[in-house]
Amino acid sequence: MSRVTRLGRVSNYLIFAGLIFFLGAFGARSLFAQTPVVATATTESSSSGGSSAEPQDLDSDDIKPIPVLQISAAFDGVFGGGQTQIHPLIAPVLLVPIGDRWLFEARGGFESDLTEQTGIPGFHAPFQKELDYAQLDFIANRYMTVTVGRFLTPFGIFNERLYPVWIRDLQSDPLILPIGVGPSNASTGAMVRGGFNATSQININYAVYYSTLSTVSSVDSSRFAGWRAGIYVPKARLELGGSFQHLLQDDHSNLFGFHAVWQPLALPLDIRAETARSSVGSGYYVESDYMLRQVPFAESVMRHTQIAARMQEFYTGAIVDNSILPANTKLFEFGVNYYFRDGLRAVSSYGRQFSPLGNANQWTIGLTYRVVVPLGHGGLGE
Amino acid sequence: MTSKKILAAELAILLGAFATAMAQAQHDAAANPAPAASATSQQLTAEATPPEPTPKDATTPPKSSSSGARLSAADELSMRLEGEKRFRANCGRCHVAPPKFPPRAMATILRHMRVRATITDQDQKLILHYMTE
Repeated sequence: MSRVTRLGRVSNYLIFAGLIFFLGAFGARSLFAQTPVVATATTESSSSGGSSAEPQDLDSDDIKPIPVLQISAAFDGVFGGGQTQIHPLIAPVLLVPIGDRWLFEARGGFESDLTEQTGIPGFHAPFQKELDYAQLDFIANRYMTVTVGRFLTPFGIFNERLYPVWIRDLQSDPLILPIGVGPSNASTGAMVRGGFNATSQININYAVYYSTLSTVSSVDSSRFAGWRAGIYVPKARLELGGSFQHLLQDDHSNLFGFHAVWQPLALPLDIRAETARSSVGSGYYVESDYMLRQVPFAESVMRHTQIAARMQEFYTGAIVDNSILPANTKLFEFGVNYYFRDGLRAVSSYGRQFSPLGNANQWTIGLTYRVVVPLGHGGLGE
Repeated sequence: MTSKKILAAELAILLGAFATAMAQAQHDAAANPAPAASATSQQLTAEATPPEPTPKDATTPPKSSSSGARLSAADELSMRLEGEKRFRANCGRCHVAPPKFPPRAMATILRHMRVRATITDQDQKLILHYMTE
């Protein structure tokens, strides 16, 4: 049996397994749904000393959302390998709710990688602009949201959840980030996604998507289909999940990913790990972030301070891709961040990269900022 | 060799995190018969992040609005605690706790996060309730 045929069969099995997973999840949910969904919340609340009131009764239901503009900005300096880069970035996010069930959301990116060039004094680079996403979401019901337009590819968790500069704790991208997310980290097409309680102890989240080919430079995307699913145990604060994608162009290969997030209750510690495997490369990273608020000295400083560490490895694949590293690479990074207040943060990190192309140190120092601007009267506004 | 390393890393992460988390959950369940109140108070002390949202006094009665009147003070408090618990469990997975924004802006942000972070319908409502109290 040829390798292509075997891969095709594996792909079919995985798509089938994905369908079974979702059908099983919905089936299990429908069994529990014999008791109304609010009963789950009530049971949870009651069992935890909570209330018998239903979420539907909350007066927060009466709050009419208004458009919101969020602007995040960063200014980083990256030093190492004999080069200095200055990286200014501004990323506005626009959220426009429409009625009770619709949301239009878009994010742009304006940035530059300024470097010193021979014979020209100062730092220079072309200005880059991108439309990260521009999507219309329809909340169909409590299990499902339908999204159309340009959206962040839900392969792994970093691209969707941790990418913004004001969220990420280490400013460099994981080495495996380009795997599975397509050009510009985004897809153009449609997606169905949602999160729901499978039992009182387990939440399930999922995303199924299709992307079409786009060659327009600032909104480019590849043709592929895939899914991501995760199980979250709130009591243990543990999330485990996997991603799958099948390319519908080029080598028609399959991509796999796995992610885990854990926050121990007793410590202000986050542990995240992701792996990705594809024909262009494979790898993993493990990251831990710890707020120093439990340190018993210099408390006024320590409670604003966070340390982060990340270990990652990348292995090249059989197919060469320009967006992927050209050689096997190991990278260890350690960072210290200081929160002046919400949205304003000083970031710094040191990384050591090991590669056949040459080992290098990488120092980063910078500021990240985020501001939220309500575009309308922010009160309850009956 | 590469695949084996990645697989070994996957398995180690999975097993380590799962075993420790389960042990932690069991330990917490045994030690705290009423997890909501104790977990919340524990989180309030142990997880006071710099941009801590300021919880209102637990004895403060719910604000009187037309629909808010449906909830008793005890229910209101319980919902707020449950909302806070879910806020920390869901929002804290990716970023430090944000401050409270104006209620109508918060409603938009929660709708956005429902899509982005695939939080459940219940979590959205309870977190919004907590963040707008």
